[in-house]
Amino acid sequence: MSGFYVLNVPEFSSLVDAARKSGHCKVHPKRGHYQFVEFENEVEILRRDTQMKEAIWYGCLTGGLDGKIAHFDSDRLKLVATNEPILGLDGN
Amino acid sequence: MIKPLELHPKLHGVDHTARPTWKLRETVHFYRDILGLPLVHCISAKGWGREKGKHADFLHFFFDSGNESTIAFFYYVGTEQPPELAVPKGYMAMANHTAWRVTSEPESHGVNVSQLVQHEVIESIYFRDPNWYPLEITRSLRDVGEPDAVDAAATIEAAMELEACGRWTDIEQLWRNKVKFVQASQAQAQENTLA
Repeated sequence: MSGFYVLNVPEFSSLVDAARKSGHCKVHPKRGHYQFVEFENEVEILRRDTQMKEAIWYGCLTGGLDGKIAHFDSDRLKLVATNEPILGLDGN
Repeated sequence: MIKPLELHPKLHGVDHTARPTWKLRETVHFYRDILGLPLVHCISAKGWGREKGKHADFLHFFFDSGNESTIAFFYYVGTEQPPELAVPKGYMAMANHTAWRVTSEPESHGVNVSQLVQHEVIESIYFRDPNWYPLEITRSLRDVGEPDAVDAAATIEAAMELEACGRWTDIEQLWRNKVKFVQASQAQAQENTLA
């Protein structure tokens, strides 16, 4: 199951909203202090949809990621599913 | 082994931070006249009793930075700044900084400052003093609470595990490694709810 965790604090709530609007995600109910945003193969989120300032945007996956970053710049975040080990294919 | 809380020292905020200066007049002008921090105390002493050559005579002076805290400087009479105490260039050296709290949006007051940067729980402006020491003025945007502390613990545990493996190179590895700690915190929260 691929996705990312979002801490339940005001500055990250717009990420959940943007993911919900993208139509490619399933937002799970809050569990503990986090919400899990699930995606199937890939998901793309635009910063303009989150209204996040850059300093927050660049830390928006700090809740934890079950997936891989395919693209991450100041405008756009693209995540894809992965089976690769955390430390890379030559790791572990 | 983590000691029980009552065995740790009980701290009550910052009394003062201190650093050396070789620019007495500029430092006083900047902190007292431009930032408006009152000069509240100054020690002038003979080398703290040590032989000349082992410790210079000095001034140690303090500016009031609010909430019973001060920012302090040492001025070592007749000395030159050792090269190793020059503030290094680059962002890494800026990590060593003082951040003061204000209660309204930080303003420049005529000082050359950075843009206002909004972080998760604070917003800040950044600037340097005449010694090139980095300073920050920041406003809290919200109080931190239990979610922040739980999340901080998960981040740091995940990071220490990666640090120990010796092959940690990017933040994506941390975000991925953190998942198991986040899931553990969720399971714990669920147990607490059921208990």
